[in-house]
Amino acid sequence: MINIQDIRETARDMLTKGEVRAVIGYRRGSRGMLAEPTFITSAEQADELVWDPTCFHNLSLYLVHDRKFLAHIRKNAEAPVAIVAKGCDARSIVVLMQEHYFKREDVYIIGVSCEGTGVLDERKLAKHLNGAQASNVAFDGGDFVFTTAEGEKRLPAREVMADRCLECRIPFPREHNIVFGEDKTGRQLEAPFAALTRFEAQGTGARWDFWSHHFDRCIRCFACRSVCPMCYCDECVVDSITFPVTTETTAEDKANRIRWIERSAVRSENITYLMTRAMHLAGRCTDCGECERACPVNVPIRLLNNKMEREAREQFGFEPGASIGGPSLVASFLDRDPGDFIR
Amino acid sequence: MSEQQVYEPRIVAFLCKWCSSAGSDLAGVSRIQYPANATPITVPCTGAISPMYIMSAFNKGADGVLVSGCHIGDCHYIEGNYLARRKMKLIMELLEFIGVEPNRFRMSWVSAAEGAKFAKVVTDFVNDLKPLGPQDKLKKAEHT
Repeated sequence: MINIQDIRETARDMLTKGEVRAVIGYRRGSRGMLAEPTFITSAEQADELVWDPTCFHNLSLYLVHDRKFLAHIRKNAEAPVAIVAKGCDARSIVVLMQEHYFKREDVYIIGVSCEGTGVLDERKLAKHLNGAQASNVAFDGGDFVFTTAEGEKRLPAREVMADRCLECRIPFPREHNIVFGEDKTGRQLEAPFAALTRFEAQGTGARWDFWSHHFDRCIRCFACRSVCPMCYCDECVVDSITFPVTTETTAEDKANRIRWIERSAVRSENITYLMTRAMHLAGRCTDCGECERACPVNVPIRLLNNKMEREAREQFGFEPGASIGGPSLVASFLDRDPGDFIR
Repeated sequence: MSEQQVYEPRIVAFLCKWCSSAGSDLAGVSRIQYPANATPITVPCTGAISPMYIMSAFNKGADGVLVSGCHIGDCHYIEGNYLARRKMKLIMELLEFIGVEPNRFRMSWVSAAEGAKFAKVVTDFVNDLKPLGPQDKLKKAEHT
């Protein structure tokens, strides 16, 4: 069990000593029981911090934002930023460091182990509560305890946990400066890639029916892109914002500029967008599941990323976010990479 | 009565400058007969092919996409085809995953001396594509 006071104490201590300039963590949000990201810059605020099953956000996104902001105001970081990170979040941070987005000393990782459980899936919970609203939720061994208007309700965590947490292989932040909670690696409640394997058992036709339905529904709000810590490119391939338009640019030039993907929300473009995104995340996605959670129309984006993750693992023996010094998936190769598909 | 139109698949072939492009040239100068369905696009190296090119080709109406480069170990840039092998494997798996017929994407190694092999690769590809019919899954809908 993680005692939240320990995390608060660590944050308070570091801020008092000036070892870090901010602590990125979770606090009680304004919407029911849900936690929200918070940025703490003074020791007094440390008591705001919370740790409960609704801390599903991948906070490493804000390290990226911080980096972009510093670049924008042309300042160097004076002190590191501390961040509360779960297993998946810590792996994201490792990938960012692997890509030299920031250095190890720029970030102080306060690791939190997901221990026997993981984080909540709101959609699953809604089915269990039958319309009731929970005002609070807490970890309790293998259960989640919800406080509702009708009193306390105890649910086994595995019934309301996010799918990715059920399949999580390493629910522990291996890269950390300080860590709270026990390492329960290997506590898998479902086989890794279980949902993916179930999906893949279907034939080509059934798979296409499934995906074409979901590709049709994408509204191209780019929530998946905004919420992803790995989608940090200044210019996304989807929107060519750096196309220079001057007085000399003719209408024909504008019309003929390269647009790999149109922005209109039609199936063919949505496919190209989502597939390209999956390719760009291959070997980088650490399965934090934020894209799928943020999606307003419930496109199963995680399945695509999962597929890439499994191919990387099985075909190339590659594990995203395993080490800071390691090579990246598509910029490295092995002699024994499969090549039997090539004629 | 008009003649019945025969479906001819359109193939976009990304050929590396050093091997496959020269290989296709050899097929031509050797007067080897093979279907004219492939539109060649010469790229500096297969390693330079972004998976985006493949998606884009399908998006713009290609019925099949062929990627061809130097044999492993023969890359002009030493390791370009090794990198391509990984990337193309991933995009191939992904295409198959969403339900695109596996035969729509193909990769081959054709050296500058293998004109006959290039002709065979294209012929086989066309023969495999014909039963699949036009590719409309990833194709951009035409604006009317």
